[in-house]
Amino acid sequence: MTSKFTISRRDFLATTAAVTAMAGVSMPKFAFGKDNVVKIGFLAPLTGEVSAWGKPGLDGCKIWADWVNADGGVKIGDEAYKVEFVAYDDEYDPSKARTGAVKLVKEDDVKFVMMLGGDPWPGAAPIAEKENMLFSTLLPSDLSPETELLVAPCEVHPIYNVTGVEWLAENKPELKTAVVCAQDDSLGKPSVATYLAAFEAAGIEVLDEPIFFDPATTDFAPLMSKMLALKPDIICLDTCYADYVHPLVEQAFQQGFKGQMISCTADFYEKLVEKTSKEFMEGFIFQFPDFDDPAMNAEHVNFNKPNDFYAEYVKRYGKGEWSAVSWEYASIMDLWADAAGRAGTTEPVKVLEAMKVGGTGRQAFGEAKWWGKELFGIDNALVGEWPVVAIKDGKAKIQDFKSIPAWWEKHSDLMIKHMKALNQMYYQRG
Amino acid sequence: MHKPDSHSVNLAAAFGFVLLAGVLVVLPHLLSFSQQEVLVLLVINVLLVCSYRLLTLTGEWSLAHAVIMGVGAYTSALVAKKLSVPVPLAMLAGASMAGFIAFLLSFPLFRMKGFYFLIASFAAGEVIRLSWKWSDLTFLFGGPKGIKRIPAFPDFLTIDFYEPVNYYYLCLVVVAISLLILYRIEKSRIGLTFHAIHWQDKLAESVGVNTFRYRTLAFVFSAFFAGLAGALYAHYVGAIAPNRFSVEEMVYILIWAIVGGTATFYGPIIGVVVLTIVNEIVLRSLGVEEMRPMFYGALLIIAILFLPNGLESLVPKIKRLFRGRDKEGNGSLASPQVAE
Repeated sequence: MTSKFTISRRDFLATTAAVTAMAGVSMPKFAFGKDNVVKIGFLAPLTGEVSAWGKPGLDGCKIWADWVNADGGVKIGDEAYKVEFVAYDDEYDPSKARTGAVKLVKEDDVKFVMMLGGDPWPGAAPIAEKENMLFSTLLPSDLSPETELLVAPCEVHPIYNVTGVEWLAENKPELKTAVVCAQDDSLGKPSVATYLAAFEAAGIEVLDEPIFFDPATTDFAPLMSKMLALKPDIICLDTCYADYVHPLVEQAFQQGFKGQMISCTADFYEKLVEKTSKEFMEGFIFQFPDFDDPAMNAEHVNFNKPNDFYAEYVKRYGKGEWSAVSWEYASIMDLWADAAGRAGTTEPVKVLEAMKVGGTGRQAFGEAKWWGKELFGIDNALVGEWPVVAIKDGKAKIQDFKSIPAWWEKHSDLMIKHMKALNQMYYQRG
Repeated sequence: MHKPDSHSVNLAAAFGFVLLAGVLVVLPHLLSFSQQEVLVLLVINVLLVCSYRLLTLTGEWSLAHAVIMGVGAYTSALVAKKLSVPVPLAMLAGASMAGFIAFLLSFPLFRMKGFYFLIASFAAGEVIRLSWKWSDLTFLFGGPKGIKRIPAFPDFLTIDFYEPVNYYYLCLVVVAISLLILYRIEKSRIGLTFHAIHWQDKLAESVGVNTFRYRTLAFVFSAFFAGLAGALYAHYVGAIAPNRFSVEEMVYILIWAIVGGTATFYGPIIGVVVLTIVNEIVLRSLGVEEMRPMFYGALLIIAILFLPNGLESLVPKIKRLFRGRDKEGNGSLASPQVAE
């Protein structure tokens, strides 16, 4: 009996060619070798009051990984590697950070660990040292001469805050007085010192002492009343967490403040516009742009397809979910992948050497230099230009990119003076 | 009805203890690296919550216990770091300072009872905690950033206490001794007096018991061991900050005690062990990092709804279940003999 399913030589060749062509089209640029996966640790607060600076960063990393993997992965040496993120919620607690660092490094075999930094870093520090692991922080104030394997390659908090004040002084010279408030913690203190230095450099008088409130504060009405009683031109919200910025802004609105507001962040600002009004939020200065901003397409910006990244972020997680850190960890990954590619290895020390070669690096907003010895005791912070953002008609708009090193050259003595006064120099901390 | 004699009860208890000790010695070697880290912190928290229970024996629930733990941690860290005192001695200094602070606090606090004591203890704790953040004292306490690079427990011969397994054994010994002392206190005449003050303070006073002194005694003992737990924590993690001893941490202590139950010595231990395993091992392994607080909260509500007397109330039920089975088993074997 003859089979019904016969295939001619011509059909066989045609089918084989079609399948091969389709496979070729759908294949990424690099074929992943068997088990070619590089794991990256994400150790940051995913729950709790500081989670707004952890969770959106992880979301951004997922987009980064999807794009990079779809594009063939990270090329290291002769091989392409798929990137996987392994997350651990450190709850902004040093003991949880220690446990998380151990898990990521010793169990998950990650090659690099990204942290928010701040209070949890000291818990993870011994693991970085003992296990020779490269860590990154968003807070250069974690840096010290003892922490050679800790880098701040993206965010240079709080130093970039000087750019907002500098821009304000140049563009609104009529503003002459300010009041400052911040939560009393490791993020608030160095940031207050920075704003004090920036205001002094700009010739803006700070009325009264900065107000430090306890992180457990929930009622911000008295605090805002106290600030408004001084009749300032500018209210500075320092580096308050989103959970504080929102009620503070609401209070300022309800108590009839008509002046200028400046803050390090204005995470989820659309909700602030909803709670107050477009008019009230008009001109609110902060330091973190939406990446759909046309200014992000400037030639000096190194972030890969910022507008598309923002669109994808909004599509996946919602319009109001974009925060200061949504892009930052992804930006650090750009630097790491580039350095690992040049080093031809994922070995932490060699990647760090490749990252710092020549003393400069491609920071998200432009070419930047490894800097920080005078302030942090070590040149492990990548400092260059930083955008100044203002809310215009309910939408964040980049006003300018300003140079942090240029400000530092002129006013470093002021910064050191205020950092010292608040015991924030690296040799004064703990 | 057959009743087990005291000899067989002692034998069973001894067997149980040997078994438990064996499990505790072997346990870290069965766990992953990160679970070993959790285990160290769990053992420290067992001491913390048991010390808290001692205070609750007198009927007073404090909201300053996390801060008292912090007093032990800060003192031990400072004495070891600034004065270069050997860590074991610094730990004792930390525990003693915690006891001393509790002694001082007892004068204003024990003028109040119940709800007023609760609120006043919270206020007193906050005063201490905020003093650690005070700018003028940053040179000492490190301000909001706290103290970093706290000296670790020194190596002993070739034993490196950076390794969690080694530090676990150290903690196990310290906590076991501490629990034995706490248990002996509870079972002593002093402990019985604590109970009496809890249930009938006026009656106790009428027979000459100085309730103020006994409450102070409970507070000081309890603070000493909380301070010791703080010192163990500080020299392991290597960093402390004021926020670590905030009201959020206090809420955890309360949850462990309430969910575990405080009627028995082992109630809080069950609470801290079960809830830590659920929170740090089970929920994390499920990959629901961002949803953990929701699941954890739901579990707490369920536990409180269905076990209002705490997890400890399950123990007698389990015992009865086993005895019932045992009886059934014996019965079925014995029946033919009876028939004979």
